[in-house]
Amino acid sequence: MNDELPNESVPDSSSKSSEANAEYGSEDLQHLSDLEHVRERPAMYIGDTTSRGLHHLVYEVVDNSIDEAMAGFAKMISVSINNDGSVTVEDDGRGIPVDRHDQLSEEHDREISTLEGVMTVLKFGGKFEKGAYQTSGGLHGVGVTVVNFLSEWAICEVSREGHVYQQEYERGVPLGPVLNIGKTKKIGTKTTFKPDAQIFQTTKFVYDTLYKRLQELAFLNKGVRIKFTDERSGASEEFCYERGILEFVEHLNRASEAVHSQVMYVNGEQDGVGFEIALQYAKEFTENLHSYVNNINTTEGGTHVSGFRSGLTRSLNNYGRLHNMFKDIIPTGDDFREGLTVVISMRIPEPQFEGQTKTKLGNSNVEGIVNSAVGEWLGKFLEENPKVGKAVLRKGIDAAEAREAARKARQMVRERKGALSGGGLPGKLRDCSSKEVEKCELYLVEGDSAGGSAEGGRLREFQAILPLRGKIINAYKSREDKVLANEEVRSMIFAIGTGIGEEQDISKRRYGKIIIMTDADVDGSHIRTLLLCFFYRQMYELIAKGHIYVAQPPLYRVQSRGKSHYVHAEEVMRTQLLERGLDGALFDVGDGRMLEGDVMNSLCRILASMEDAFVALERRGVNLKMHTERLEPETGKLPVYHVVHGREEKWFVARKELDAYLKENQEDDPENAAAQNGAEPGESASNDDAGGENANPENNGDNDNSDNDNSEPENQIHITEMHEVRSINVGLLELRKFGFGVEALLPKDRTGMEGSRYNLRRGETEVGLDDLRGLLPAVREAGQRGLKVTRFKGLGEMNAEELRETTLDPEKRTLVQISMEDVGAADEMFRVLMGDKVEPRREFIEKHALEVKNLDV
Amino acid sequence: MRCPHCNSEFEPKLSSALPFCSQRCRQIDLGRWLGETYSVPAFRLDDEEGEDFNPEA
Repeated sequence: MNDELPNESVPDSSSKSSEANAEYGSEDLQHLSDLEHVRERPAMYIGDTTSRGLHHLVYEVVDNSIDEAMAGFAKMISVSINNDGSVTVEDDGRGIPVDRHDQLSEEHDREISTLEGVMTVLKFGGKFEKGAYQTSGGLHGVGVTVVNFLSEWAICEVSREGHVYQQEYERGVPLGPVLNIGKTKKIGTKTTFKPDAQIFQTTKFVYDTLYKRLQELAFLNKGVRIKFTDERSGASEEFCYERGILEFVEHLNRASEAVHSQVMYVNGEQDGVGFEIALQYAKEFTENLHSYVNNINTTEGGTHVSGFRSGLTRSLNNYGRLHNMFKDIIPTGDDFREGLTVVISMRIPEPQFEGQTKTKLGNSNVEGIVNSAVGEWLGKFLEENPKVGKAVLRKGIDAAEAREAARKARQMVRERKGALSGGGLPGKLRDCSSKEVEKCELYLVEGDSAGGSAEGGRLREFQAILPLRGKIINAYKSREDKVLANEEVRSMIFAIGTGIGEEQDISKRRYGKIIIMTDADVDGSHIRTLLLCFFYRQMYELIAKGHIYVAQPPLYRVQSRGKSHYVHAEEVMRTQLLERGLDGALFDVGDGRMLEGDVMNSLCRILASMEDAFVALERRGVNLKMHTERLEPETGKLPVYHVVHGREEKWFVARKELDAYLKENQEDDPENAAAQNGAEPGESASNDDAGGENANPENNGDNDNSDNDNSEPENQIHITEMHEVRSINVGLLELRKFGFGVEALLPKDRTGMEGSRYNLRRGETEVGLDDLRGLLPAVREAGQRGLKVTRFKGLGEMNAEELRETTLDPEKRTLVQISMEDVGAADEMFRVLMGDKVEPRREFIEKHALEVKNLDV
Repeated sequence: MRCPHCNSEFEPKLSSALPFCSQRCRQIDLGRWLGETYSVPAFRLDDEEGEDFNPEA
């Protein structure tokens, strides 16, 4: 409380005023003592005498007009800062009564109007019309009297019953009786006052301050029109919000991105306590809560706010549990406050205010009322609006997860000092001896045995080895998963030395190159994806600056006459064997033709181009023999499109035919267009879902567990584009030039008596073949004669020497520098690999098990 | 750019936590690495891959 008042001026000014209006004020002892008290201790009435208290004067006057508006009598309130620094507040309400107030007149033994009572008698408002407004505003209910007492001068003008009445005051003392000064058709009250510079530390009104509060009042009192003008600058604004606090929330969130577009709103009343709540979550991290009781901003909160919070937390937690949204972490109330924008507006007949600034609601019954009202409403709302419910819950879960993540990160840093060996380096790290960062390399090696070989084969000065082991976990009942153990992640972070998160500094990195070395199998590629994803997400800059590499360990060792060479890719191995096998090979077609040299080469190249396509087709569950029966005789082509329409199956060679079929059938059944769900045939090639749906077209119908399976399969059209058939078709065309039809690819029905259909001759050896598909393997097998080809199943199968020679030695190894594009793709793949959706994941893995080379970054 | 955590589209220049849209999203992601939440399928080589083309095997 501010007790430091300009005391010396008070008796002086009040005595001056009372002198000037001797007949009005002198006999009114009560009035004098009230007036003196207010002027001596203004802080008790308006908080303080700073700018804050000054503006409070305006609010007190406006509150009266708001009451009039909320009671349904006023439509418009106008507030203006005048050129002389005074303020005028005007409304079109009923106007303060100006007739004789009997009780007051008797008490003071002279004619006193109600208007004069309102302006000059403390707490008169309550006397003259008790219960006139159910829930009146005003910070301390002191009203316009105090404003008058603390003003150098004031004028109140009332228009009612066809006349304009006016009374003027100086420092709270009337200059004369209420005067009838003219006629009017208007009604309303207009109060102008000039704050007393003897009381206030400043008397300059601030436009923005009043703007904010007047706008707030307009939000809180829906439909009320408030016009605000500043004569000093000419600025002017009008506020009117038909949707009230709902618009307030929209206004508060105007610069934020909302989590759900629609603001949630509820209002109601119980036991005379009215409540109105509007809320919306935004993609922010702080809470934006505004609470009001009878238009008073309860900045310290109170029972209404705590009731709201517990109701909110309870409903959201119930919803999350009901819908199984919580995994490890359950959000707390604080987590649900993140990003919440909420306006709570209460109407309470007898509010009790507590706290430092008397802005904390104390009424204990309010807590329960708000709590249960919010719980009931929100529970229902979330069930009816699951999209909003899920989005809000995710937001809270995110907050909880972030809290947990921060805890883990802190713990990691703390434990570093304790658990890890000297210098804060992980115990498993075999560090290099050089300190020249740019020359140093860190190999992240999958598996302990490979780590051992790598340790033995490395160049100790510049190459460090950190073995990493995928930890097997049981993710679901029937599935085993691999994770990077917490310890491994920490080891990597500490070995690399840059730190993590906000404090990350890549200039502190301990190595110029970080090289991921995993087995050349699917498992290895998954772990590589996991690691790349980690670097992409958590050490983005290392990738951006080109510090991350992938080692290319060989897949095969080829030994010939005591000499070894290594082959890194399956494709290369195949080509090498083929080329070797073709040397001196003769192909006896069985019809008298013998193919050799360039012709034989061309034939094998064509077959090689079809080889993967055959495998891909059969992976789909399409039998080649059965598929060749669908050959279109005119074009010699096999169907590329497979359509399942309800119980029917169709095959199409050309897109045109497919389109025609679709058009026809969609016209027949317009619902089909919707059922197709935009799965355009052209898109289905790239659409894993669509492709996967019919991964097994020969057996369709058995495929009951697919997600998209609809209760009405008759109406569904599923299209699969088998793009590998295009390669087969191209090959078939080429083969015809050699006189081979499609039947050459399939084994003939044979009696078992005759000799081989085809024969491959090379030197002394001759191999019989049943069909043309067998030619390539036979040539390769011939090519392998005299060679010892070993396929490495993992890095661990290589000894230290081999590993150095192929993968570690900078002179001989191949490293692939990881670019943002590669790693972005890895991240995409990672999302599928670790995604919750089991089906796409399984399909993805199967697809890539076939095309291992596609996993090679 | 799309944030790997919250999936929202954002302007990379405005983020101090690339490739995430915010420190918050990156933090959550880090928590998941430390919490062993991220996994890939453990894929057993069932001797089915590539064998056709490797007569040695």
